[in-house]
Amino acid sequence: MSDETLLVVRDLTTTFATGGGDLTAVNHVSFDLARNETLGIVGESGSGKTVLSRTIMGLQPRVNTTVTGSSIIDGFEVVGASENDKRTIWGTEVAMVFQDPMTSLNPVMRIGKQIDEALRVRLGMSRKDAKARAIELLELVGIPSPIERYNAYPGQLSGGMRQRVVIAIALACSPKLLMADEPTTGLDVTIQAQILNLLDELKERLKMSVILVTHDLGVVATRTSRIVVMYAGRIVETGTTREVFHHHRMPYTRALLESSPKVSNKSHTRLVTIPGRPPNLLNLSPGCSFAPRCKYATDQCHTERPELRPSIEPGHTFACWNPLPVNSEATLP
Amino acid sequence: MSSSPNLIVPNVSTLGVKEEPGQPLGLFFWICVFWIGLNLFGAIFANVLPLQNPLYENFNAINAAPGLHHLFGTDDLGRDILARVVYGSRVSITVGLGSILIGYGIGAPLGMLAAYRRGRFDAILTTVMYLLLAFPAIIATIAVLSFWTPRSLLKIIVVIGIASIPLVYRVIRTATLSVATKDYVIAAKVQGATDRRILMKELLPNIAPIALSFFLIGVATIIVLEGALAFLGLSVNPPTPSWGNMINEARTVLSQNIWLALFPSLALCLFLIALNFIGDRVRAHFDVAENKL
Amino acid sequence: MKRLVLLVGIVFVISVGSFYLIHLLPGNPATVILGFGATPEAKAILYKQLGLSKPIYLQYFVWLGNIVHGNLGISFISQTTVSSVIRSALPIDGEIIIISQILAFAAAIPTAMRSARKPDGIVDRILGAGSFTLLSIPPYILIVVLVLFISIKLGVSGTGPSAYVSFGTDWITNLESLSLPAFTLATGSFVVYYRVLRSDLIATLQEEFITMARSKGLSQRRIMWRHAFRPSSVALLGAASVNIGGLLAAGFIVQYLLQIPGLGYTLILAINESDFLVVQGIVLTVSVLVVVINFFFDFIINMVDPRISRE
Repeated sequence: MSDETLLVVRDLTTTFATGGGDLTAVNHVSFDLARNETLGIVGESGSGKTVLSRTIMGLQPRVNTTVTGSSIIDGFEVVGASENDKRTIWGTEVAMVFQDPMTSLNPVMRIGKQIDEALRVRLGMSRKDAKARAIELLELVGIPSPIERYNAYPGQLSGGMRQRVVIAIALACSPKLLMADEPTTGLDVTIQAQILNLLDELKERLKMSVILVTHDLGVVATRTSRIVVMYAGRIVETGTTREVFHHHRMPYTRALLESSPKVSNKSHTRLVTIPGRPPNLLNLSPGCSFAPRCKYATDQCHTERPELRPSIEPGHTFACWNPLPVNSEATLP
Repeated sequence: MSSSPNLIVPNVSTLGVKEEPGQPLGLFFWICVFWIGLNLFGAIFANVLPLQNPLYENFNAINAAPGLHHLFGTDDLGRDILARVVYGSRVSITVGLGSILIGYGIGAPLGMLAAYRRGRFDAILTTVMYLLLAFPAIIATIAVLSFWTPRSLLKIIVVIGIASIPLVYRVIRTATLSVATKDYVIAAKVQGATDRRILMKELLPNIAPIALSFFLIGVATIIVLEGALAFLGLSVNPPTPSWGNMINEARTVLSQNIWLALFPSLALCLFLIALNFIGDRVRAHFDVAENKL
Repeated sequence: MKRLVLLVGIVFVISVGSFYLIHLLPGNPATVILGFGATPEAKAILYKQLGLSKPIYLQYFVWLGNIVHGNLGISFISQTTVSSVIRSALPIDGEIIIISQILAFAAAIPTAMRSARKPDGIVDRILGAGSFTLLSIPPYILIVVLVLFISIKLGVSGTGPSAYVSFGTDWITNLESLSLPAFTLATGSFVVYYRVLRSDLIATLQEEFITMARSKGLSQRRIMWRHAFRPSSVALLGAASVNIGGLLAAGFIVQYLLQIPGLGYTLILAINESDFLVVQGIVLTVSVLVVVINFFFDFIINMVDPRISRE
């Protein structure tokens, strides 16, 4: 592994054994992440992006779950590692920011204590030192009056504040990789921008790599250098943000871009939606998973699954039999 | 509960037995049903079955071990244990069924109505019921039965039955409450369905599994209670056999005759296991929402 | 505060019920209480004491007045006051219950945690089936079996019937004599606590903040005790509240069988000897105790998780 690469994911596959059969939520996903890089993982609900984010760090459920493939974070192979081993990297190498701060914080524990916990258990700090550092962290994430807030319960804070606490906890042990799973969904629009800007700032300051998982293209547009587009558990397109936004080849990507409401649209513009519904992962058809909903689908699309193949610019790959022509552009969000 | 809709949570069971919604109920379930049926059959048709006379005291064969003539042996008065166990099931089953039927007969309709109507009717009734519930039923039963002499099977059934009303009321009311607030009930109301129709068509089928499950468990609990009363001398009078009576009698001759303790105990425990298991399975089988996200 | 009103209300209902018990008996209460051999003078005194000539609702207040002054009447058999009978018997029940609960919790908490961590694993299944079976064995049968095997067959001393001595006299024998009843009650409690805690832990462990705690790199043990147990303990306390209330009553038969002079034994003797005042006194005491215990637990639950009162 080169010095520049922090994360290598190869053929990562996550399968759940459910009552109705085996469900493959993540299907042979591969990509690399360099140090200090920000990657966006985009897709609808049910695309597998959340499961992917957890599987990458080994945080998938322990029961009825099978993971194959490889996910190497700074030399540590996550897949197949025991819980004890994985615990050595959790918090210190890789940390996660969860979607809903109301449920991801322990509601009956003071927030100061929740930050302390990470510091004392993982870094062995004394109680005094941990408290001091925790207050520093609260300040770092922009919480006013951190000394008073230290003793607050999560329920006493606003949504935005809580999310900042979650970020503080994630950063406590200075991880090299930060996984942010829909960090702003569910927050007020105005707060969303604040949190995202905070993340940008912290990423620069602390020299972290960030993976931003979201369904909102607006979030990734300016904050990521590369994007991975997921559908039905697979990567259907990936490349630099610019390339994917301007020169995408896979019709699903186009559809995603078009369905984002744009501020520049006139009022009362109809929202574009993608017709149909996400596929039932228990019952995948043999061809391209998007084919039933794709307006450009051909017969081949329905019968044969397309593999990822490169486009013009290096690093840009997509999976489609009938891709959009190279230089077509969509209107940007 | 987890808020991430994308994360599929695997099914976990409530009893160490793997449960899936709609899964076939399993072999052991049917074995239990069979066992209950067997006991019921024995209780009902005891008279015509080829059994010895349970009251006949044969002084030549006291405390006999199981043998050809007496399949379960005899007790300290020479009476055939097998016959007494079968006849004894009558008492236990009658008390169990009778009492729970009284409890359901009164408690269930009240509970459903209260949950459906809400308002003052519900408030008053529920407060009363909860007050009654706070009074430990066993003590009340012991107390009333010890004072209300002379004892009879009917009195026992009535006392236990009345004591079970508040509990049935609470269970049925809670179950109905959780169903009554569901959208499809409100939808039916909006469509102009009469109350009666809603009660019968929407609510009843949905609380039926819980009601049935609790019914069975109630029978089991009451049978245990009857056994306890027998130990206190508060159950049916000798020489009428009941499982509890027999076990009680067995205590005094424990060193000489373990069969008198063994067989009724086995009969009782097996019956209870079967009842509890069926009750629990029924609940789990229909309760799709439990523990699954 | 609302709870306090409720408490008073329940106690009131109980008192009325207990009061009325005497009147369920056929015949004149005075005759019943004193027996047929009583002299007319004694009957007359009792008549006055209980106010039996007055209408029934006034009788109730006479009775209530007596109760409040601690006068529960005289025990027929022992000729001592009912309240002293109760006072000497009650601590024994208390001891049995305390020991049984310690055993039950000590067994249930670790096992439930183990099962919740690996649901449907081998340990979980065995415990599930085993607890189910235990559930179906009534305590009076279990105690008979235990006495049969441990006391009679194995001859462990001090555990048999009539072996009871008070704590002050000989604490070792005291504990020995109470071990079987405590164990029997503990099994029933264990099953309840195990099931409730396991089920609640499994639910709690699926919550997001547990995954977050995991992602912090905390050990399983820490997650289980510090994060999962706290919310789940609420359900456990609730179960304990209901259970302990019933234990007082359930323990009766077990006591009786081993002739341990707790409230249960005393009650049953009294029933057999038609010592109705004792019966009434015990019924009243136990009922009130049960209710008080329930409220006590409610109070504690409220303290542990203030969210409950907010809901």
